[in-house]
Amino acid sequence: MNRATLTLLALLLICALSLVSAQQRGRKLVTAIERAQIEERKLNQEWLRLEYEQRNLSKSARIRDAARNQLNMSPIAPNRTIYLREER
Amino acid sequence: MKRVGFSTTPNLVLRLPMWRSRLMLFMLFVAFTALVVRALWIQGPGNAFYEAKAVKGTQRELEMSASRGKILDRNGQVIATSLEAKAVIAYNDTIPKDLSDEKIKQLAALLDMREADVRKKLKDERNQVFLKRQVDPVIAQKIRKLEIPGIGLNNEFRRFYPEGEAMAHVVGFTNVEDRGQEGMELSRENDLAASTGKRRVVVDRLGRIVEDMGVLQLPQNGKDLKLSVDSKIQYIAYNALKDAVEKHRAKAAGAVVINVQTGEILALANWPSYNPNDRKILSGEQLRNRVMTDTFEPGSTIKPFTVALAMEKGQVNPNTIMSIGAKYLVGPKPITDTHNYPSLTVAEVIQKSSNIGTSKLAMNMPASEMWDLFTAVGFGQAPKVGFPGAVAGRLHPHQKWMPTDQARIAFGYGISTSLFQMARAYTIFARDGELVPVTIEHSPDYKPGTRVISAKTAIEMRSMLESVTEPGGTALKAHAEGYRVGGKTGTAHKVAGKGYASNKYLAYFTGIAPMSAPRIVVAVMVDEPTTNGYYGGQVAAPIFSTIVSETLRAMNVAPDSAVKNMVQRDDAIKPGSAAPIQRVVLTQ
Repeated sequence: MNRATLTLLALLLICALSLVSAQQRGRKLVTAIERAQIEERKLNQEWLRLEYEQRNLSKSARIRDAARNQLNMSPIAPNRTIYLREER
Repeated sequence: MKRVGFSTTPNLVLRLPMWRSRLMLFMLFVAFTALVVRALWIQGPGNAFYEAKAVKGTQRELEMSASRGKILDRNGQVIATSLEAKAVIAYNDTIPKDLSDEKIKQLAALLDMREADVRKKLKDERNQVFLKRQVDPVIAQKIRKLEIPGIGLNNEFRRFYPEGEAMAHVVGFTNVEDRGQEGMELSRENDLAASTGKRRVVVDRLGRIVEDMGVLQLPQNGKDLKLSVDSKIQYIAYNALKDAVEKHRAKAAGAVVINVQTGEILALANWPSYNPNDRKILSGEQLRNRVMTDTFEPGSTIKPFTVALAMEKGQVNPNTIMSIGAKYLVGPKPITDTHNYPSLTVAEVIQKSSNIGTSKLAMNMPASEMWDLFTAVGFGQAPKVGFPGAVAGRLHPHQKWMPTDQARIAFGYGISTSLFQMARAYTIFARDGELVPVTIEHSPDYKPGTRVISAKTAIEMRSMLESVTEPGGTALKAHAEGYRVGGKTGTAHKVAGKGYASNKYLAYFTGIAPMSAPRIVVAVMVDEPTTNGYYGGQVAAPIFSTIVSETLRAMNVAPDSAVKNMVQRDDAIKPGSAAPIQRVVLTQ
């Protein structure tokens, strides 16, 4: 009887301690998830920003300007074009 | 010293009155009872208050942000996107009264505001004032580093439009609250709009989140919207308009390009335009999407419909010879042509754009049949493509037509349409008699149309429209190198007051290309050209030509007209020779 009580008491103590440590670990993980989520949002925003920048750099107006003025290129003219047909 | 034992202390011998100890006992009892009652109260009915207090200390409701959907062109290129920005807020009860001038100066410089304006806002009676909204995050970070107490930063989004002016009327813009105000941003608000979410968390004493209690409201990002517009073709159209407006010193211009196979709008451009990224100074003139919202008397561009109806009814064929003469009298005012033709074939009526010939054909038909055809091609009804402010134009019921009305409606006076309606109507010629349903959303499949006229009539009309751009026609300048094109010019006097203004014109051209297998319909309008001509054939046709040749090349459409070849065959090119050639692989 006495022995059983002691064993149960020990088990109870172990359970209580592991509950505390599990809770602590849980909280740490939640904090880590939060941090990761903030990071994810930041990276998402960064990606959107880069996508926007890429679009800004590749827009027709800029390319046309660069091709004409910096590279001295001229638009395609049909009489200077060879058309290749894909074989069916 | 005499010792006194505890049990024999004289104090115990002393007899005190009983009531004193009983009173003491009673008071203790009362005190304990009060404690028990209080404890029961706290655990029972008074619990909610304390629980709320405890929750307030540890639990927080956090907003979960969601961003507005992107708008993409047909190739997936971004034409409107939301990026994170900050709202700079002043909590005026927290800002120290003795804030140094230096800090205010730095703050004003970072916000790009005048110092006096910043001071005024900081002295505002309201507790919470927006100093500036939609501030770039990098600048917001610098403001945070100033460490001014009472200056807070809130998350919000700012909309960016990389295509700027060229795409302004298609895409529209949003306000600071991220709500659509114009264009697609307005008409697709429900799909694009995001709704923020909410969640409850437990925080520790340092404010870190230690437990997630669950989501109260799920955040919903706005849906992305893919349009049928091609930003390359849009730029081609916008640029062509811009150049033409400068050349002819015109008031405004508009153009629309429709893919006749899929019914998709490939470009819809207007001049004047505005930069949707900077919406501080905007006028109604700039905001107007003329292609959709302005109606005009279409003039000669409507003639092919009248002539097609006469051919459809079997009254004439393209080679039927008609007597024309100098004038044709219907009602009080005679109808005239710019040149005097004794006689013309029906094909030449279109080629030379004869008002008399078209009126004569119209007067041989019942008004109801003309009305039916015009209604079937969409005149007099607002097109349902999801643009805000799309207008119906004017087409009076045929019962109200007088003979003179019928004769004039036949060549485009007494009826009004938008440029968009005209472009769509022309799809019946491009699509062998079918009217194609038009859309602004990306849907690259072939769309079945509604038959309006027979394929035979449509094909005959196409060759008549082609003759307009050939020697002897009114629109030689519509000719696009490498491609066979066809179309119809139009020049109309502008309505001013009760009549027509003698010196104010609208010049149009609506056409189809390439003629061997039509792919696009292009409609162009120039409002009040003042220099270098005012006829549709002089002003609008060259714009059509530019748009068609550049668009078809961008779409990799094979030329269907002979071009003088300047390049040698591939096998004849010597290595190192600087032959300026391009090779284009055709996939169709």
